[in-house]
Amino acid sequence: MRSKIFFLLIIMPFFCFAQKIKENHSTQILKCSTCHSCDVPTKENPCIKPCPREKIISIDQLPEEGPNVLTIDKFKKQTDVYEPVIFSHRLHAEMSGMGGGCKMCHHYNPPGRVIGCSDCHELTRKREDVSKPDLKGAYHRQCIDCHRLWSGKVECLNCHQLKNSKTKTDISTIVKKNGKRIHPQIITPAIVKFDTPKAAGKLVTFYHLEHTDLFSIDCSKCHKNESCSKCHAKDLVTLKAGKTLEQKHLICSNCHNTKQACSYCHLNTVKPGFNHKERTGFDIDKYHGKLKCVRCHTTKEKFTGLRGDCSSCHGIWTHENFRHKITGIALDENHSSLECTDCHQEKNYANPTCSNCHEDKSFPKFFPGNFIKKR
Amino acid sequence: MAAQTRRDFFKTSALLGTAISGISNKQIKAQSKNILSENRMGVLVDTTACIGCRKCEWACKTAHNLPTLPVEEYDDRTVFKKMRRPDDKALTVVNEYQNSTKFPINVKVQCMHCDQPACVSACIVGAFTKKENSSVIWDTNKCIGCRYCMVACPFQIPAFEYEEALKPDIKKCDFCFDLTKKGKIPACVEICPVEAITYGRREDLIKAAREKIKNYPTRYVNHIYGEYEVGGTSWMYISSKDFLQLAFPKLGRDPAPGVSEAIQHGIFAYFVPPIALYALLGGVMWLNKNRKKTESETEI
Repeated sequence: MRSKIFFLLIIMPFFCFAQKIKENHSTQILKCSTCHSCDVPTKENPCIKPCPREKIISIDQLPEEGPNVLTIDKFKKQTDVYEPVIFSHRLHAEMSGMGGGCKMCHHYNPPGRVIGCSDCHELTRKREDVSKPDLKGAYHRQCIDCHRLWSGKVECLNCHQLKNSKTKTDISTIVKKNGKRIHPQIITPAIVKFDTPKAAGKLVTFYHLEHTDLFSIDCSKCHKNESCSKCHAKDLVTLKAGKTLEQKHLICSNCHNTKQACSYCHLNTVKPGFNHKERTGFDIDKYHGKLKCVRCHTTKEKFTGLRGDCSSCHGIWTHENFRHKITGIALDENHSSLECTDCHQEKNYANPTCSNCHEDKSFPKFFPGNFIKKR
Repeated sequence: MAAQTRRDFFKTSALLGTAISGISNKQIKAQSKNILSENRMGVLVDTTACIGCRKCEWACKTAHNLPTLPVEEYDDRTVFKKMRRPDDKALTVVNEYQNSTKFPINVKVQCMHCDQPACVSACIVGAFTKKENSSVIWDTNKCIGCRYCMVACPFQIPAFEYEEALKPDIKKCDFCFDLTKKGKIPACVEICPVEAITYGRREDLIKAAREKIKNYPTRYVNHIYGEYEVGGTSWMYISSKDFLQLAFPKLGRDPAPGVSEAIQHGIFAYFVPPIALYALLGGVMWLNKNRKKTESETEI
């Protein structure tokens, strides 16, 4: 009995430790060097890189997961002229869907949980670390940039109420108002067809879902700094008419050459979607259909051509690192120790040749092992 | 007999003068240099963050007991139509400059609290002092109203109460010395809603500003105004536009008192010019005396 307790006591910390690590960002797929400038960060000297880090890391939540309404009163003082702001968090989270999600405000949020402003920004203005604004400054900067962009106003009364004012909005009315979803969910459309004034090639077909899902392009790559006025401006038609040719093409021209080759996008009929075989000659439907582009085309955002042979992605296969079972044929003893090239002479490993060893056998009449169910 | 002692007096005084000035000159030089604390404070103004709410103007007036409008009146943006300068009634003002991108640029103007202040150097009665925490302050009891400080200042900050007939004062931003000496922060910094003005150790601010410019090269021009201008100032600015276009004066890196002090000190360097003058006069007298002597000798 005593030995069992002793054993448990020894084991316990390992369990606790293991659980703790699970919540920790150090177990996630992240390079330490994304945030830390030294090799061994410690609690005393975390050597955190100053923001913005090379690769902004963040997490996203659904608007419903966050708080509904917040009263921002952390730095409330007796001498204040204005009431603290009652911030409709959920509504803002709903609206942020178009512009870049939670990280629009919760910038540099390490993975794990969404952290609030006061976790990083200090409450007192007189402080040692002047590299980032204090909490009051951070809140105001965060709100004002967007509000100024779409309303053009910076006056305090746009968000704050005067202290002692008679016409006060109660927090409960705002909570009530925010009870259900206010801003409709922003759904990624599959295809968007643009009618353009171009004579030859009126129609531009934009495969939106293809760009976001298949090509793994971040929403914020195109939808950057988008404010409410993008959709809610009073006169959208005149707003669009006022754009120059260059401005109209700006979103596409980030990746596509829009100055030449107009007919690549501008057609008279609906353009068919992306087909890897047609475009590149390499059929991906057989084995690679479920993969996202970035799985093989690792150079980010620019999908440069790969060689057609397997080794350009899979490296060099040998009988040791390739489990032949995966093809549906489990090799028998005689064949499992052979080098791949003994049977597969073609670079794409398509059909094996048996004639090197066997005079009377050929594939697919005979198998070099057992035929099993393909995985 | 009397003439001879006089001549001896000149000789000895000239010699003594050279000796004394040779020693004391070094002391004068050492005094003229400011002893600047490494922990001196400063303010970094990020003009890209300023929204032109002018709350700092209100806070400044309230802190200095100057007459002011109620705080709500400061939301009025029509004042930006004309350029304003700090004066005896407003120690700091915010101006607005039109900008092609996104938002207009707002720039707060006040005393820069130079590391080598020209006003301190120019003040003949020592009414101006540079404090250890960076404040350049002014003592009403010492001032004689000569207004040399107004001429000397490269930023044209000190203002004079011309309307005050009996006891006019020099008025300028004092970096809220009354607050900072108690460990508080200046009134304008305290109130700024976006913390476009950051108060801290000057060295830390420069480091933070460099980091900002490095991280956002499209947002800022690569220049911290006040880091080196006129030998460095306590108030420093970063901006998205060239500072000359925001009505900042183009100034060199040499401290402003350098020019005037160089002339003054040059004249009295090693006491050579006065001695030369005395020597010349003495020489003329010597010659005349000799001539007179020979004349009188020939008469006899």
